[in-house]
Amino acid sequence: MKNNKMNVLDNNVMMEIRGLSKEFSRNGERLQALLEIDLDVVEGEFLCLVGPSGCGKTTFLRIVQGLIEKSAGSIELYGKPITQPSADRGFVFQQDNLYPWRTVIANARLGLELAGMGTDQANARANEMLKLVGLEGFEQSYPRELSGGMRQRVNLARALTIDPKVLLMDEPFAALDAITREAMQTELLRIWREAGKTVMFVTHQIDEAVYLANRVVVMAPRPGRIEKIVTITKTTDRSEDAKRSQEFHQAVDEIRDIIESHDREDIMAN
Amino acid sequence: MSNAGETTSEDIEEDKSGLFGSNETAKNRKRRRLITSLIVIFVGWELFGQFGIENRLFFAPLSEIAVSGYENWISGELQKHISASFQELLYGMLLATIFGIAFGILIAINQSVREHCDPIVSALYATPTVAIAPILITAFGLGIASKVAVVFLIAVFPIIINTTVGIRQTQESFIETAYSFNATRWQVIAKVLVPSSIPFVIAGIRLGVGRGIVGVVVGELFGADMGLGIFIFEAGQTFDAAPQFLGILILCFAGMALTGLLQWTEKKIAPWHHFALDEE
Repeated sequence: MKNNKMNVLDNNVMMEIRGLSKEFSRNGERLQALLEIDLDVVEGEFLCLVGPSGCGKTTFLRIVQGLIEKSAGSIELYGKPITQPSADRGFVFQQDNLYPWRTVIANARLGLELAGMGTDQANARANEMLKLVGLEGFEQSYPRELSGGMRQRVNLARALTIDPKVLLMDEPFAALDAITREAMQTELLRIWREAGKTVMFVTHQIDEAVYLANRVVVMAPRPGRIEKIVTITKTTDRSEDAKRSQEFHQAVDEIRDIIESHDREDIMAN
Repeated sequence: MSNAGETTSEDIEEDKSGLFGSNETAKNRKRRRLITSLIVIFVGWELFGQFGIENRLFFAPLSEIAVSGYENWISGELQKHISASFQELLYGMLLATIFGIAFGILIAINQSVREHCDPIVSALYATPTVAIAPILITAFGLGIASKVAVVFLIAVFPIIINTTVGIRQTQESFIETAYSFNATRWQVIAKVLVPSSIPFVIAGIRLGVGRGIVGVVVGELFGADMGLGIFIFEAGQTFDAAPQFLGILILCFAGMALTGLLQWTEKKIAPWHHFALDEE
């Protein structure tokens, strides 16, 4: 399991996205949210999508999950077209969306329960995932009793219990304070390695993307499109120290330059 | 979730208003103050009844009410009246709860039903439906059935409305989360909408009980062979103040007990909502 993580880019393409477009119409006005996105997602990789607000990164992720319909193009996961949510994709929302009337374990097993699995079996699987995210001993707590970071761990465990092939994460740490966010990033990398999942992670924070990703997809707005894909070379297992390295800052600067060049164009155009 | 022996934030909150800086817990302080109020009311009532008022047609001291209670209990009269009223309330509330929740859910989830019925339910909620009691007595007779009908009719509207509101206030993102796991429409109703509405439903039942007690008494005043309403009415016919106050006090305590029971039920089956209130 660990080996295929080290050289992910040589590995198989699991998801093929071709010519994906999305148009919204609001009050008769047409809005091109995404224009002809082409992207291959490689098995086992950690892929981050960054870009300014309005670049359609969240819309893109929701279409991949099957929560919103696309206007044109195709998405295939292992050769199968995606049309609706399914157990091969797990979604981690920005707000944890834990049900306040359910205990931690009952929240974690939600996906399995909805798929019709028996409670005992579902609990066993949910327990395993709660352990993985470091929440052993909190199974019977209610979400209200947990901190923001712990709630996001439950949110992650809930997506993992259905054993998806790919984990779609929509700015899951955006609402956390800076210190908790950094701790959660490191935790997420550990969980990613242990669970052996492919991750598509949306964020608007460049350093977060560089720290987490094998590849960073830089998106641009109006219309939402892929501007560039930056491969992050990682010499060793990522640690907090990596954030102090020169390579890290070079990658962050490269991505920032791409995003800012568009901001400048925008300002000139207006 | 405040199990016995476990300290809640409320328990350890200090009495900041105490002049003597005492360290008693908030719970004890509330209990002590309630008992003080009740003693003042009871003593005041007794003294006013004994010395403050000449005309015993309007008022009875507590001691006379107690005597009246004792006599009516010994004769077995009181139990029969309490039992009749209690059954009317119980059956009426059961029907109102079952129908109210079912119809409330239907209004919330079906647009056609909602647009047909919602304005009418709102209008009927605002109508003093108790005024229809004489017609129901005529239709269903002096027995228990007519009062059950009155209680049902008066209590069902707050339950319908609260169920509908409870379901429709469910966070959109909770529903989306279920759909992200490919939930069916029925699963969303059963696992998201209904549980999320429980605190509202219980609040609706609580409103319904309060109205239901009024329904029992008013219904009985218009015509009944048994019940606390008719007990009070008959005492009024003979200008006997003590049994009238006895009946009123029993209704008052019954209302308090039922409200308390529902609050306790809510804490048990909807503890997450209880937390929300605790934090304020």
